[in-house]
Amino acid sequence: MSTMDCNAFWNQLEQWMEGERSSDARAHLRGCPNCRSALTDLDAIRQSASSMGDADVAPPDRIWISLRAQLEEEGLIHADRHGWADTVKGWFEEIFAVVPRPALAGAYLVALIAVGLALAAPSYRRSDGAQIPTRPLTAQLNTDEEHAISFVTDSDPAVAASLRKNLAIVDNYIALCEKSVQEEPENEIARDYLYGAYLQKADLLAQMTERGETR
Amino acid sequence: MVGNTAEAEDLTQEAFLQLFRKISTFRGESAFSTWLHRLAVNVVLMKLRKKSGKETSLEQVTEPDEESGSPRRDFGAPDLKLSGSLDRVNIQRAVDQLPPGYKAVFVLHDVQGYEHNEIAEIMGCSIGNSKSQLHKARMRLRELLHEIVREKAREDRRAAESASSGED
Repeated sequence: MSTMDCNAFWNQLEQWMEGERSSDARAHLRGCPNCRSALTDLDAIRQSASSMGDADVAPPDRIWISLRAQLEEEGLIHADRHGWADTVKGWFEEIFAVVPRPALAGAYLVALIAVGLALAAPSYRRSDGAQIPTRPLTAQLNTDEEHAISFVTDSDPAVAASLRKNLAIVDNYIALCEKSVQEEPENEIARDYLYGAYLQKADLLAQMTERGETR
Repeated sequence: MVGNTAEAEDLTQEAFLQLFRKISTFRGESAFSTWLHRLAVNVVLMKLRKKSGKETSLEQVTEPDEESGSPRRDFGAPDLKLSGSLDRVNIQRAVDQLPPGYKAVFVLHDVQGYEHNEIAEIMGCSIGNSKSQLHKARMRLRELLHEIVREKAREDRRAAESASSGED
């Protein structure tokens, strides 16, 4: 028979939950459905809370990009070439991720990569050993680019200006990446950046062409 | 701890900014992980306190019972149990309503699995204080969850009544 009432049990509830359980408290609990109900609730809350921790997720990339930008702004870190490229690459990926146009972008991409390789080396060597001059390909790409630009020239001036501005940014980014690849041809990260830059430009050219065609 | 993804992302960024700003103040007196965790928890607490419009200490952000300083005693009834109603949404709704100090200790202990001695170090309080805050947090959560369950029951009843009156 317990000498403990509900108030006394509740005075010990914190200790009970921490595992310190007196015989009096146990006896009270056996005879008190209300206190048993409260304990069942507290146990259920504890168990449910522990399963909430399973939902931990990694922060998205944009946090690191934004963090880097702010740290650079405050002078706490200084931009390095790859870091800057990473930031811009991430930015472009976000801008263009919402506009899929695989076929057109794919065609531009093939040409862009070919030109990029041409810049890193004077010509391609085919599997049969034949040298393929790449200058005509560069010329073709320039023509395609002019073609894409002409599509948007007569469209909404604000849109055209925005696309041109983006194109200039991508071109600068490509130039930076190409310089890195030329300096360190075996650097895989530099090549990845360059590939990403081509991807952005291919997508942008496709976007410009599509806008022109749907006018 | 904030129950909102966008806010959690902002706070993550702020915590890392603080890390860069304050790294020179780390003197190695505690484990680096503890120091970093304390910094992150402080960032979150600052935000929570700002949201609740209070500039107060950890002790003051809790809600002691007006008379005794202990949690309100709602012995409840054996017929109203929470165990079947504790889904993630309900728990998160209730946790969101906790005072910042309660919330921090509850999340660190019951969600993230820290021990009281670790929480005491992270939050700069005593072990006893951590235990007491956790107990009060759970008790307050129980009250809040009972309110949520009762409200849900009322809504269900109203919906059933309006459905049956629509059939007549």
